[in-house]
Amino acid sequence: MALRHLTRAFTRLSLIPSVRSLSTVTTDLSRLHPLLDHTDSPPDLDQRTPFPVNRPPNLHLQQANEDVDSPLSKQEQARLQKKALVVKRVVNMNGKGKQPSMYALVVVGNGQGLAGYGEGKDEEASRAVRKATQRAIKNMRYFERYDDRTVFADIEHKFHATRVFLRTRPPGFGNRSNHYIHEICRCVGIHDISGKVMGSRTPMNVIKATFEALDKQTSIEDLARRRGKKVVDVQHVYYGA
Amino acid sequence: MPRVHDLCARIQNGFRARLHQIAVPDTKMNLAVSNIMYHEGFVSNVVRGNHQKPDETYTPTTNDNVATRRLWLTLKYASDAPVLSRMNCVSKPSKRITLTVHEMKDLTSGRRAKGVQPLQPGEIAIMSTNQGLMEIHQALEKNVGGEILCRVR
Repeated sequence: MALRHLTRAFTRLSLIPSVRSLSTVTTDLSRLHPLLDHTDSPPDLDQRTPFPVNRPPNLHLQQANEDVDSPLSKQEQARLQKKALVVKRVVNMNGKGKQPSMYALVVVGNGQGLAGYGEGKDEEASRAVRKATQRAIKNMRYFERYDDRTVFADIEHKFHATRVFLRTRPPGFGNRSNHYIHEICRCVGIHDISGKVMGSRTPMNVIKATFEALDKQTSIEDLARRRGKKVVDVQHVYYGA
Repeated sequence: MPRVHDLCARIQNGFRARLHQIAVPDTKMNLAVSNIMYHEGFVSNVVRGNHQKPDETYTPTTNDNVATRRLWLTLKYASDAPVLSRMNCVSKPSKRITLTVHEMKDLTSGRRAKGVQPLQPGEIAIMSTNQGLMEIHQALEKNVGGEILCRVR
């Protein structure tokens, strides 16, 4: 009874064509077997490139890439106002001794409200400036201006030991402030502002303080909405620009 | 002798601690200043109450309960920030500052007057005049000068 079961299972199994050949006792070695024989063997014994390398054709080693992943196109990026405000030699002390490198802080802007700053460090000054410029383009953000020429209200901001005061001024006043604030406002597109730096005047910190100060502005509409008030522009309607 | 330093401190501390309501002493001065703050939109509710909670129904102030009477102000917050950032005294007992109408016009149009910095967009100043406590713009409409008590931003 058990043997009959086995034979029946065996016949059912041998109905599968690939298995049928396995079940045959006599093996025909003159013909190639589809499963057991490999037909794509090389004619010689040497292995020809077992791991193919897909290296891109032009590889720039030791060179920062000019393309920056940014919503601005390459032409727009080239047209931006770029100013390297801080380029200095910094030193890293370690067990091997003094490791000098160049540090650069670049401010970038389009004069229409978009601006940002970036820092870069490299052995060569030009490469550091390029790194900083790319980071600055990536870090750009839009700053709101009143009437496209000045800040909304007087701003007072403290960053570390640097205190920055930015005051709104009427049209035609000009940009009268610390030379770093002056450059930043030129990149942002602020034409009438009075600025003063009190306390520490370290260039790096003045630039960071100014950007933070411009960041923390609130527009007039936001102010009015928070207090539940209606805001009306009297200046332009009754007195003109 | 109007002095609002206590109210300024309580309101600023309440906003910094992100409280929902604060209780200040129930005086005519505090009530007047709170009303101005309410009309300007810094505070959303001004209610009389107990030292424990605001009144649900009208409770008259009598000699028995006068010690526990408070003014409850409901503070306002918008987009994860307090609506009031600063409230400080301008005219102090150490240096009294009284403004004429001309000086008030300077302050409201962005010029410094009597050592007081000009008012910024969204800033108000509370004046004590002979016609009562009012905001600086209301005082200008009525053409009255007075003592500038505090400025709110």
